[in-house]
Amino acid sequence: MFDTIIISIVILLLLIGLFFTVAGTIGFVRFPDFYSRMHATGKCDTLGEGLMLLALIIYMIGYEGIFKGDLVHALFISIKIILLILFILLANPTSTHAIAKAAHDVGLQPWKKTDETQWMNDMETDEVTNGGETG
Amino acid sequence: MTGLIHMPDFFLFVAVIIVIASFVSLYRGIEGPGIFNRIIAVNVIGTKTIVLLVLIGFIYQRQDFFDIALVYAILNFIMTIAATRY
Repeated sequence: MFDTIIISIVILLLLIGLFFTVAGTIGFVRFPDFYSRMHATGKCDTLGEGLMLLALIIYMIGYEGIFKGDLVHALFISIKIILLILFILLANPTSTHAIAKAAHDVGLQPWKKTDETQWMNDMETDEVTNGGETG
Repeated sequence: MTGLIHMPDFFLFVAVIIVIASFVSLYRGIEGPGIFNRIIAVNVIGTKTIVLLVLIGFIYQRQDFFDIALVYAILNFIMTIAATRY
């Protein structure tokens, strides 16, 4: 019974984390602008991967630790994964901020919403100018 | 195991989805205009690789992969900071 509850929580958290990761990837490919792509990836990746690692911690302590009776070993591994989660929560927003600040300093303009034909022209010229001036 | 589901198989399923997602974001890394899209693509794929390494460690029951994942996280962060600073 307890076994089934633990496994269910682990599967639920893994699926939610997978959903956020896939949504962040779709946003990263489909969004029109550099800043909005960063908006998609910076948050979705942090949350999704935090949730997946949390699910693995619960699996490690609840299943391997309690049912197989190897609690010390399970605690060592889950301490490593907790350090990994803390590092991701610290480092991922920091690197997102650093990329955004570097792009702002170089002078990349944010995308503004205009009418359709103007948007098409902007997309075409955007690739040329961005590739030229920042690459 | 519960008999209902074999847990390493489910971890393998999650790992395959993550690999597909990182290949999809590799498209933006190759195609994307400018250097900054490529830096984000490197950052995103690196963060997905951390979870992938931990999942591989769970699938094969090897403890070395968690240390490798920690070192990979630190390297990924330093690489992004260095690429944006200079």
